[in-house]
Amino acid sequence: MNTRRRHGPRSNEDGVYLGPSLTQPQLLQQAEAPVPTSLPLAPPVDAGRGSCRDRTTEFQSVCRSLQSRQNGIPTSKPALSAVRQRSDFTLFAKRIGRNLSNTFAKLEKLTMLAKRKSLFDDKATEIDELTYIVKQDINSLNKQIAQLQELVRSRGGQNGRHLQTHSNTVVVSLQSKLAAMSNDFKSVLEVRTENLKEQHSRREQFSQAPAHYAPNSAHNFNAGNSLLMQDESKQPGDVSIDMDFRASQQMQLVNEQNSYIQSRADTMQNIETTIVELGSIFQQLAHMVKEQEETVQRIDANVEDTSFNVEAAHTEILKYFQSVSANRWLLIKIFLILIIFFIVFTVFLA
Amino acid sequence: MKLYSLSVLHKGATKSNLLKAAYDLSSFSFFQRSSVQEFMTFTSALIVERSGLGSRASVKEQDYLCHVYVRNDSLGAVVIADSEYPSRVCFTLLDKVLDDFSRQVDPIDWPSGSPTTIQFTALDAYLAKYQNPREADAMTKVQAELDETKIILHNTMESLLERGEKLDDLVQKSEHLGNQSKAFYKTARKQNSCCEVM
Repeated sequence: MNTRRRHGPRSNEDGVYLGPSLTQPQLLQQAEAPVPTSLPLAPPVDAGRGSCRDRTTEFQSVCRSLQSRQNGIPTSKPALSAVRQRSDFTLFAKRIGRNLSNTFAKLEKLTMLAKRKSLFDDKATEIDELTYIVKQDINSLNKQIAQLQELVRSRGGQNGRHLQTHSNTVVVSLQSKLAAMSNDFKSVLEVRTENLKEQHSRREQFSQAPAHYAPNSAHNFNAGNSLLMQDESKQPGDVSIDMDFRASQQMQLVNEQNSYIQSRADTMQNIETTIVELGSIFQQLAHMVKEQEETVQRIDANVEDTSFNVEAAHTEILKYFQSVSANRWLLIKIFLILIIFFIVFTVFLA
Repeated sequence: MKLYSLSVLHKGATKSNLLKAAYDLSSFSFFQRSSVQEFMTFTSALIVERSGLGSRASVKEQDYLCHVYVRNDSLGAVVIADSEYPSRVCFTLLDKVLDDFSRQVDPIDWPSGSPTTIQFTALDAYLAKYQNPREADAMTKVQAELDETKIILHNTMESLLERGEKLDDLVQKSEHLGNQSKAFYKTARKQNSCCEVM
């Protein structure tokens, strides 16, 4: 039965060995030993994977019987070298696959970092480093896949048709994964540039001259001090300027630069917090209104019930009234007839 | 909160040179005005001379605060305000004024200019506009509006809670009403069916 052979060894209908399994390269290298050992090798793949049947032992016995049936050692060598080439290929492909998944993880982290939109707390250096690393990885993966493809093409002549298509398919799938990853990377970079542009425009909106921020304080207060010393002597006497220049000038200049920028930063952060709070207040408002809607519906139901009941009672009373008023006519008629009979009886009997 | 004067100066190698100034001296008595103006001009020039390039500073003098900003290209501006005026808004104003000035007036005129030769009319407009720091500064305005909105929202929340209470009240009353109307209906029906007499 060939139904469960996903990772098992491949063979055609007759059970002739065509190519190795992807998960058992070491096993095949051990099978090089031409000494006919009778099934000593326990398969390194765990037989506990319940979805496939482990037919390694049968496979090995078939191999050996075939080998002994053919010319023995001379032809086993090219088979063995073919085996070794195949295992090289699979090792290489595995390595590329592992690198791909690592790079994918890094790309995901980069995506998360790039999506942050707050004006403060922007991890620009991390993002740049990560971008650089991911770019390098993508380049190296590209080269490795190109190498793999070269390998496949160079060994094209020696392998069977199925083997060739398998190798080509493996290479094509790795290439497509790499292409998907580079597309993701490109979109992440675009998102990042958009966010940078937005941040820049928001900063400009709140500070009219964003270019003048550089505090070069050390240079300044030295110059300020020397000017101070020169000007002290030239102060005219009739204008009293009460300025406390000496020691505090130095501190003032440095602190002024920092405190100005600091105060702007504080204000911005304040504004951002306030806006976030406002957002949450709105949400709470919406929630409460939704809850109260239920109450309103109950009121509506009650009032409708009431009106229905009142209508029905009104109808009943109307009926009663009609019956009462109608009854009177009947009563009068009945009495009249009774009286007539009574009169007739008395007239007839008297 | 008031601004008293706004002046643009050029900081030369040895002394500074007043390029343009605007004054708002309405709070001083008529006879003091000229001397106060002289005094302010002199103070501004002195402060600019004593400040280094590319620095911002605030100097306290009697009960006024002088905020000065000297750019790296020797262009400086001084605003004299009272002690309540927020300094951040002052520095924003200085940035804006200097930007505008450097765009409108040629740098060639700077070292040798004087208020009569330089054409820059926006200074008075700026001074008038920034008398009210709330409206003039974008950040302060945004913050003030946000605070207002927050207060309005708090009031809304309170009235919403009151509405909730009233709705509860209404529910009870309407339930009561419903029960009574049902009793009414039953009585009416009983009246109809029970006694067929008369």
